[in-house]
Amino acid sequence: MRSLLALVFLLQAVSVIPAQAASRPLMQLVVTAPYLEMHSGPGRGYPVVYVVGRDETLTVLFSRTDWYKVRASHGQEGWARRADLMSTELPSGEPAPIPPYPDFLTHRWEVGAGYGVYNHENLVTAYVDYGITDSIDVEAVLQQAFGTLDNRYIATIGLRHTFVPEWKWFSPTAGIGTGYQRITNNQPPAPLESSNQMAYASLGARGFITRRFMWRADWRHYVVFNNQNVNEELEEWKIGLAVFF
Amino acid sequence: MENRLSSILLAAALLSGCSWFHRGDKTPAPAPVTVEEPQADPSIIEPQVSRRVVTTPKVKAKDFEAGVYFGALSIQDFGTNPVYGVRAAYHVTEDFFLAAFGARSQAGLSSLEDVFPNITVVSNSGRYFTYYDLAVGYNVLPGEVFLGRGRAFNSALYVTAGIGAVKFANQDQFALNYGVGYRITLTDWLAMHVDVRDHVFESDLFGVNKNVNNIEAILSLTTYF
Repeated sequence: MRSLLALVFLLQAVSVIPAQAASRPLMQLVVTAPYLEMHSGPGRGYPVVYVVGRDETLTVLFSRTDWYKVRASHGQEGWARRADLMSTELPSGEPAPIPPYPDFLTHRWEVGAGYGVYNHENLVTAYVDYGITDSIDVEAVLQQAFGTLDNRYIATIGLRHTFVPEWKWFSPTAGIGTGYQRITNNQPPAPLESSNQMAYASLGARGFITRRFMWRADWRHYVVFNNQNVNEELEEWKIGLAVFF
Repeated sequence: MENRLSSILLAAALLSGCSWFHRGDKTPAPAPVTVEEPQADPSIIEPQVSRRVVTTPKVKAKDFEAGVYFGALSIQDFGTNPVYGVRAAYHVTEDFFLAAFGARSQAGLSSLEDVFPNITVVSNSGRYFTYYDLAVGYNVLPGEVFLGRGRAFNSALYVTAGIGAVKFANQDQFALNYGVGYRITLTDWLAMHVDVRDHVFESDLFGVNKNVNNIEAILSLTTYF
């Protein structure tokens, strides 16, 4: 009962806070199509709850995925599609500056994660990638490899070249980079060295899936610089899912 | 008499003449006329217009979601214990989102340790059960819930699946995770979730390699930004 009361108070507090945040100027748009539909939620299945007519203005509050929360001139709020808002205008008559859907061929940022095998061990990988040009990217990777005896955290940074960036569904890539691994042992004995610097060369591929998703596959050959006579050489492959911006 | 009158008049005339001369000293001499060179680019009208800077406000994207949760985690063979965690999500489309979870719990005694108090399966420091998950989520059943006559909240039943790691008994294990959750969006920026999630990994703590299931039921409060 007390938690329910707390929830009610929380809800009331919550309904007050947006009034303070309203000081930020909001985008005003004028509907130029015969009408613009406002849905009750940010999804294709939510029913249309209000319709804004031609030449009426609406205020854009914020966006979530492909949907924009808007307020009509009479105060009704609802969700409008990105495509519908793109056909509206600013009060000055210019087209509405609603950003278009990110384009795969010219995207700059990527964030992804995936599964792989590193030196015969399970690997969890996550990465951020920034495209300097359409074909050259900088990628920073954080990953963890789970061995029976040891457990490795690996951080790498490198450059990657996409051979034919125009190929949307499949485009081969190659890269080089450097990194660092930290080893903790699951079972004794402790590893000879707890951390090493590494260098790698990689071959891989990438492709578009749908909407804002893409896949990446990568094979890497690592050279681990250690204090022994022979550098350790490791192999890794991984496949991941990424979102581009 | 006539002489006196004429001398007064003369004096008056003299005085007025003096005063006239005296006044004449005060007026400045007329300035000498100089011919100025015409300026190179004469501007006839100085514009006093301050330019209006038109900035179109940007639309804030609220695609990220982050929050905290607590619940009960059933660690296989080690009883059910409270779990506390943080979660984050990025909503990519209206259907799909990427999610990350991280949480910690502390295991109780296993049945074996309960029955035989002298046996220690896991040391005290190894009783912490810590995990992180990276997952993809799909909103299977988006909808609305109604609270009374006047309030409606958007909601969604979603499924998540992914990979991650579990650290238990001082060992890092690769783990698969999957779950189902229900989200109620209370306001534009606040949401409440109820999730049931499982973490599966391979364990040989009791001498035999087996897959262990660690199911949790959690209640989360998240904020969109």
